[in-house]
Amino acid sequence: MAVVPLQEQLTQGRHGLLWDLLRNRSFTVGAIVFLTMLLVSLIAGRFIPPELKMAGSFPPRQPPLQGTLLGTTALGQSVAIQLTEAIPNSILIGLIAATVGTVLGALIGFTAGYFGGWIDAVLRMLIDVFLSVPSLLFLILISALMRSVNVVTLAVIIGAFAWPSPARQVRAQVLSLKERGFVQLALLSGMGGMEIVVRELIPHMAQWLGANFVNAFIAAVLAESGLSIIGLGPQRQMTLGMMIYWALSYSAIFQNLWWWWMAPVVTLIVLFMALYLIHIGLDEVSNPRLRIL
Amino acid sequence: MARLSPPDLVLLQIESMPMTAYSRYIGRRFLLLLITVFISMTVVFFVPRMVPGEPMTAIFANMASVGGSVNAQAMIAEYRARFGLDEPLWIQYISFWRELLRGNMGISISNFPAPVSQLLLRALPWTIGLLTITTILSWLLGSVVGAAIGWRGRKAGAFRFIVPIALLLYTTPYYILALILIFLFAFIWPIFPLSGAYAVGSRPGFTVDFILDVLHHAMLPALSILLVSLGWWFLSMRSLIIALKGEDYILNAEAMGLREQRIMWGYAFRNALLPQATGFAIAMGHIVGGALITEVIFAYPGVGYQVYNGIKSLDYPLIQGGVLMIILSVALANFAIDIAYPLIDPRIRYAGSGGK
Repeated sequence: MAVVPLQEQLTQGRHGLLWDLLRNRSFTVGAIVFLTMLLVSLIAGRFIPPELKMAGSFPPRQPPLQGTLLGTTALGQSVAIQLTEAIPNSILIGLIAATVGTVLGALIGFTAGYFGGWIDAVLRMLIDVFLSVPSLLFLILISALMRSVNVVTLAVIIGAFAWPSPARQVRAQVLSLKERGFVQLALLSGMGGMEIVVRELIPHMAQWLGANFVNAFIAAVLAESGLSIIGLGPQRQMTLGMMIYWALSYSAIFQNLWWWWMAPVVTLIVLFMALYLIHIGLDEVSNPRLRIL
Repeated sequence: MARLSPPDLVLLQIESMPMTAYSRYIGRRFLLLLITVFISMTVVFFVPRMVPGEPMTAIFANMASVGGSVNAQAMIAEYRARFGLDEPLWIQYISFWRELLRGNMGISISNFPAPVSQLLLRALPWTIGLLTITTILSWLLGSVVGAAIGWRGRKAGAFRFIVPIALLLYTTPYYILALILIFLFAFIWPIFPLSGAYAVGSRPGFTVDFILDVLHHAMLPALSILLVSLGWWFLSMRSLIIALKGEDYILNAEAMGLREQRIMWGYAFRNALLPQATGFAIAMGHIVGGALITEVIFAYPGVGYQVYNGIKSLDYPLIQGGVLMIILSVALANFAIDIAYPLIDPRIRYAGSGGK
C-alpha cells in the first residue's frame, strides 16, 4: 500500500527537479551556452557546401574578418568551418564516452551491490584497482598503439576507462537502498529482481547518475583534447583537440597565426566552463546545502 | 599532520583500536596494492605486443644512419633473439616477471644498449623536481587563500573576484594553459625558453649557472601546472571552509568569545586540513605520471616524456619500466593514505566489511 504514495512522491519530485534546475542560474547559463554552441555549429555545418571544407578552398594564412569569419589555416581552410565540424565531434566523444562509462559503471555497480558475496568481492577489488590506476596513461598507451583511431573508437576507449567511479557509487547506493523499506516491500509483493532495479532503484539514482554523466562528459572531452594534442587523436577527423594539434604541427604560435590555435583553445575553455556550470547546477539542486558559487 | 580532535582523543582512539582488525585491514590494502601492480603490468605487457609493429626498426634505422645495414633481416632476427622476442608470448611473460622480481627492467630497444633503469633514473629527478615543487607550492597557496576567502564569504569584498578566476583556471586543462603561456612568454614576450630542461650544450652539474638555467627552463611547464592546480586547491579549501562554518564547535568557539583569527585558523582551517591533506597525498602519488602531456609539449626530459617516446617506438621494456614506476608511485601513495587515515581520523571504521 505504501508503494502508491511513494510513486506519486517520486513523480512529483522529478517534476520539481526540472523546475529547480531551470531556476538554477549556474545550470541555465551553462546549458544555454552549451546548446548554443552545439546547435549553431550543427546548423551551420549543414549549410556549408562540402567543397569549402577542403584544403585550399580559401587563401591561406588570412587573419579573421578578411574574407572569412575567423581566418584561415596555413593550408587554406576556414577556421570557422573547421569549428562547425570540431565542436559536434568533440561533444559526440563526450556523449559516447560518458554513456559507455556510466552504463558500464552502473551495470557493474548494480551487479556487485545486488548479488553481494564473492561477485561483490571480485568486482569491488576490480573497481579499487582501476580507481587507483591513472587512466590517462592507459589511454595514451592504447590510442598510440591503435595507430589510427576515429571519433567513435576513441570515444569508446575513453568510456571503457570511465566506469570505476560510477560503479563504486552505484554499488554503495544499491547496498543502502537494498535495506530500505520500499525495496523490501517490493520484494515481498513479488516483484522480480530486474523489475525492482528498473522501477525502484533507477528512479532513486537518476539524479545522481545525471551529475555523474556530466562529470564523465567533462573528463572525456578533456581526455580527447589531451590525446589529440600530443598526436594520438583521430587524424582524419576534426575535433577541438585535433584543430590544436594541426595548428601546433604547422607551428601556428610562432608563425603568428594566432587565430588558428586560439579559436579551438577559446572554444574548449568556454565548453569546459559551460559543462562545469551545468555540473555545479546539478549539484546545487540535488544537494541544496552545497552552494559553490 | 592534520588532526580532527585534540591529541589525547586521538591517542585514546589508537589505544582502544583492536590491532588484529587494523592489521587485517592493512593486509587487505596491501594485497590490493599487489593486485593493482600485477594487473597493470599484465596489461602493459600484452597490449603493446598485440599490435602489429616491429620494435627493432628503431635499431635498424640507427644502424642505417651510420651506414651499416648490410644484412638487415638477419640482424633484426639476431636482435629479436637477444631480446627474447622470438620466444612464445607466455614464456616472455614469465621471464619478464622473473627478471622484474630480481630488479631487472631489461634493456631499452630504442636507446640500445642503455638499461631501462638507467634511462628512468636519469629522467626521474626532472619529473620529481618539477612536480614536487609545483604541487607543494600550489597546495599551500591554494589552501591558505581558499580558507581566507571562504571564511570571509560575502564580506571578502573585492577579493571575491578570485573565485571566478580560480574557476577559470581550474576548468582550463593544464596543457591548454601551457599553450597560452608559450604564446605569451616564449613568443610575444620571449623571456622563457620553449622546450627542454636546460640549454643545449651546457654541462649538467651543481654550478650556479646550470641551476639558474634549469630554473629558467622549468618556468613555463611549472607555471602551467601550478596555476591549474592552484585553482583546484583554492576551490576545494573554500568550499570546505564554507561547509564547516555552520558546525556546532565553530558556533561554540564564537560563543566563547575567541578572536576570529583564532577560530578561523585554529578551528575551521585545521579541520578542513584533513580532506585537503588526503587530496595532497593523492596528488603526490600522481607526481611521476601526472604531467605526461606537459612534458611532451615542452619536451621536458622526465619520466612521462620517456614513456611517451617508448610508446611511440614500441620499446616494450621502456614502456613496462616507465608504467611500473608511475603505477607504483600512485599505488604506494594510496596505500600510505590507507594506513594513515584510520590513525588520523577516528571516525573511520576500518574493520569488518563496511570499508570503502
